[in-house]
Order: sequence, then C-alpha cells, then structure tokens
Amino acid sequence: MLALFGLIFGALLAILLRPTVPQDLSRYVAMAVVAAIDSALGGVRAHLERTFNDRVFVIAFVLNAAVAIFLVWIGDQLATGDALATGVVVVFGVRIFQNLAAVRRRVFGG
Amino acid sequence: MHRRASLALAGVFVVLGFLVVTSAQTTRVGLKAAEPRKAQLISLIQQRRSQVADLDQAVRQLRSDTVAAQHEATEQGQQDKEEARRVQQLSELAGTTALKGRGLVVKLSDSDKATSSVQNPGAYRIHDTDIQLVVNALFDAGAEAVSVNGSRLVATTPIRAAGGTIVVNFRPLTPPYTVNAIGADKNAFQKSDIVKRFGRWEKLFGLGFKVKAQTVTVPSYTGRVAISTAQPVGTGGSP
Repeated sequence: MLALFGLIFGALLAILLRPTVPQDLSRYVAMAVVAAIDSALGGVRAHLERTFNDRVFVIAFVLNAAVAIFLVWIGDQLATGDALATGVVVVFGVRIFQNLAAVRRRVFGG
Repeated sequence: MHRRASLALAGVFVVLGFLVVTSAQTTRVGLKAAEPRKAQLISLIQQRRSQVADLDQAVRQLRSDTVAAQHEATEQGQQDKEEARRVQQLSELAGTTALKGRGLVVKLSDSDKATSSVQNPGAYRIHDTDIQLVVNALFDAGAEAVSVNGSRLVATTPIRAAGGTIVVNFRPLTPPYTVNAIGADKNAFQKSDIVKRFGRWEKLFGLGFKVKAQTVTVPSYTGRVAISTAQPVGTGGSP
C-alpha cells in the first residue's frame, strides 16, 4: 500500500516540479525507467516471497539502473547503434515479465 | 523489519514514478521542440523552392538574352563584313592594295638617235611632263589604277623632275618608263592629244612610245598614306 502511495507521490512530484532532461540524455533516462520497473517488480516479488532485503533491494535498484545506462552509453560509444540498448531492454523486459509472473502466482496462488 | 522494507519499497517506487513521468515529459517536450523546427524546415523548403523557381526564371531570361546577343553578334558580324568590304574598296581606291585587270601598258623611252640637234637636246628625252600628260590621258580614258615603273599613283603622288631624272612618289625612275593602267580604254586613249603628239615625236625625234592592251597588274602603294594636316570637311558642310 505504501509502495502504491510512493508511486503516486513520485509521479505527482515530477508533474509539479516539471524537471527537464536534455534531449541527449533522454534515452538514458528511459533506460533507467525500464531498469527501475524491473527492480520495483523484483522488490515486490521478494516482499511477497518474504525474502526481501532492503539493502540488497536498494543496491540492486541503483545498480540495475546504473548498469543499464552504462550499457546504453557503451553502445553509443561503440557505434553499435541501438543494438546494445535493445539488448538491455529485452533483458529487462524478460525479467519484468518473470517478476510479474512470480507476483501473480504469489498473489493469486498457483 | 517489515516496516523498513515497506519504506524502502515505497522510496524506490517514488523514484520510479518520478523517473517515468520525467521521461514521458521529456519525450513530449522533445516532440514539441521538434514542431517549430519542422515548421521552420517546411518554410525553408518553400523558400528554397521559390528561390529555385526564381533561378529557373533567371536561367530562361539569360538563355533568351544569350540568343538575342548571338543574333546581335551575327548582325554585328554582317556589319563587320560590310565594313571590311568598305575598307577593301577604300584601300583599292587609296592604292594600298595591288590590283589586276584589263588595261593598257604604255612604254615610253628616250630617243636612241644621237642628239644631233644641239639647240634642243631635251626634245630627244622623255620628260616628267610627258609622263604627267600620259597619265592624265590614261585617267581620261577610264583608268582606275595607274603605276609608273611599278610605283603606284595615289592622290598625293607627285610626278616631277629632279634635274634630268623623273621622280614619282619621291622615287627616281630609270628609263624606259612603263605606265600600267587598269581600266583604260585603248581607243579613248589613242584619241588623246598626247598620243597624237607622241605619234609625231616618234617620227621626229625617235622617242619610244608603245601602247598595248593586256591584263595588267598595278602594285600597291608603298609610301605613307596617313594624312596629318588635312581633315575631311563634313559631308553637309561643303562651302
């Protein structure tokens, strides 16, 4: 419940503050969002599985986002185009669905 | 423990929500920023298109100008040709070109008789006045170009004597004297006084005088043709 309030609070904060990100960096922010969604769902899953460790969770959240951004940045530097960024998105996408499936199983049983 | 975990989760979700909205907003701002640029590009394209149309028009204009200029140049060429022909005619008249045509050759020579008459030795020689009279008669007979011993007669040519020597165009001549005259009619020339007189003198003093109708060549005048003092009087302003 608190998590849901946090989500809404963060969204409201962003709407009110209207932070702007330079166009060049918008791709990295998007990638961080994908990583963050994965981490959040992972956190929810761990919470439901009672294996939640707040330190691991926060570190994982920051680290996932950081590595995702780093990979995209490396991809840009190596001129692989969007290949590496696509790879990162795919990996996080798969993980998101896996975490979502685990949460679903935990909540609805199965 | 549970409470801390919830707080951490909530904190992460705050960040997550913040990031999502920020990213979405950034994308929207980027799209919005692209819009005036798009309009700018469209107006730029339209502007360039009208510029291209203007340039096309200019090219067409220049093409037609070129054609007109070529026409003009051709006409100019025609004028030049006419001008060249005029120059040719004038130079023929002025004597700066060699000419060829049917005419007369008059040969005059001093008498080969011994000058027995001491009282009038000049009667056995051809004088400058003889040449003058012959040339005048030739012109009277329709001569268009005349040369004496290869010296072309022009408007400023003097025929005079320096001592016993005949000088034409300031060039001393050596006898015999050959006068070439293009266009002179033999019959008309034969009727002239000087020819009649020479007929008598031929017998009296033994002066050589032969007239022959043939194709003759008159060389070009080699002296200076430029006139420095004389100026043409305006065509309408003759006194």
